[in-house]
Amino acid sequence: MSLVAHRVTLQAGPRMLVDTLDLALEPGEVLGILGPNGAGKSTLISMLAGLAVPACGQIMLDNQPLAALPPLTRAQHIGVLPQGDEGGFFGSVADFVALGHYPFGVAALDLAPLFAAWELADLAHRPLDSLSGGERQRARLAQLTAQQPRIALLDEPLTHLDPAHQARLLAWARNEADAGHSVVLTLHDPNWAAGHCDRLLFLYGDGRWQLGPPAALLTPASLEALYGTGTAALWRKSDRVQPV
Amino acid sequence: MAGALPADHELAMQILTELRGPRVAAAFACGGLLALAGALMQTLFRNPLAEPYLLGVSGGAGLLALLGMAAGLAWPWVSVLAFAGSLLALALAAALGGRLLARDHTPLLLAGVMLAAGFGALIALVLSVAPIERLPGMLFFLMGDLAWTSNPFMLWAALLLATVTALGLSGRLDVLQLSPLKAASLGVAVAPTRWMLFTLAGACTALVVAQAGSIGFVGLMVPHALRKTGFSGHRVLLPACALAGGSLLVLADALARTVIAPRELPVGVLTALLGVPMMLWLLRKP
Repeated sequence: MSLVAHRVTLQAGPRMLVDTLDLALEPGEVLGILGPNGAGKSTLISMLAGLAVPACGQIMLDNQPLAALPPLTRAQHIGVLPQGDEGGFFGSVADFVALGHYPFGVAALDLAPLFAAWELADLAHRPLDSLSGGERQRARLAQLTAQQPRIALLDEPLTHLDPAHQARLLAWARNEADAGHSVVLTLHDPNWAAGHCDRLLFLYGDGRWQLGPPAALLTPASLEALYGTGTAALWRKSDRVQPV
Repeated sequence: MAGALPADHELAMQILTELRGPRVAAAFACGGLLALAGALMQTLFRNPLAEPYLLGVSGGAGLLALLGMAAGLAWPWVSVLAFAGSLLALALAAALGGRLLARDHTPLLLAGVMLAAGFGALIALVLSVAPIERLPGMLFFLMGDLAWTSNPFMLWAALLLATVTALGLSGRLDVLQLSPLKAASLGVAVAPTRWMLFTLAGACTALVVAQAGSIGFVGLMVPHALRKTGFSGHRVLLPACALAGGSLLVLADALARTVIAPRELPVGVLTALLGVPMMLWLLRKP
């Protein structure tokens, strides 16, 4: 299963965000997308998921235009973790997670392994809105895994997660890639990107973009070019804080 | 055999089959339709406080109905005007605020709330200049009153049809409780489904308002209370709303007819008097 963006252009009003992007998502890879706020990371995720139409260019899923696929068929292949917005959901965590299986019909899904994987077993019968931010993020991840997508597009999945659950997310992403699936993550942490992504996409927010392996892209100079002068200091070892 | 019955028994039978029976049946159907419309509106707007009159339906219906009454028209014409007013309000809300419904329901909500406010002002204007002897009828219409309902069969047909249609959408409606982006990513066509919700809820509400005026509170309280007590899947929530809404309105109408008999109260007064304490009690629960 391959997802290809062919000469795709993203615009926000008159502002050019991404100019003529060519991106072929390979099975078995974890791709990290980095860029400043408002650079078009979430918009690109929506485009790749077929939920928004690019100003120019085309997204192809296995050589078929994504826009031509029926929504349910598309949902059986591509899953999205959008940024959180659960204000309208009044049911339990279990009901919430089970909705992820919707593209495959009402056939019951065994939720127990999902609850175990995301440590939700004790929370399953609580109302979703009674959960903490991190717990809710885990419920959203469990909902995505209930969809069993072959291409998973995650918008800032690390939000609210403590280190233990970040590690769990990391293990899940690697596991998906090893199973031949593709995982796309938007991130703000170059260390995470360096260690756990196979390829990176930099979005500068003014039309420019860069695609390559982490070793080539992640240099102090390139990070300052991406995020602005002075930002490289964030990831430099400081004398004042002793590493443990 | 009929001739053998005592005269008062015959009269009682006549009251039951021609007056009370149809009215109870109409009350149940109206309550069911309102609660169903409320549940659909809450899902459309992803908000537990949405209700059937949110988009100005009662205002549009009220304005045209009151204009008809002021002009001295008889009830069937007032009812037709009320129905037309409902549709006018819905069409205006859709035209003014419906453009972005695939992603954002706020413009539709704002358009509806503004229309309701505008209609409210015009209704106040009509009330202030209308002939005094017509005011009680107007107030009963604005509060909601089942004394006018003439056709329980049509209301029941609508209730059954609306419940079945809504049940057919129930899987999609469960998913629509998520954000529009997430719902779309799960394969739900968000904009068409939201327009179906809008149309179905609007039609249910317009029908009730044209038959019984703006009966308040049933459409807000019943679905809200049922969601609060743990009904979250629409496959159970929607029929439960129809049943509970119908039962509540039958009870309220029975009280409206009897508490100060032989005079009647507008049933809307009773639904609010029953509903407000119940709602406040529910809000206490964590």
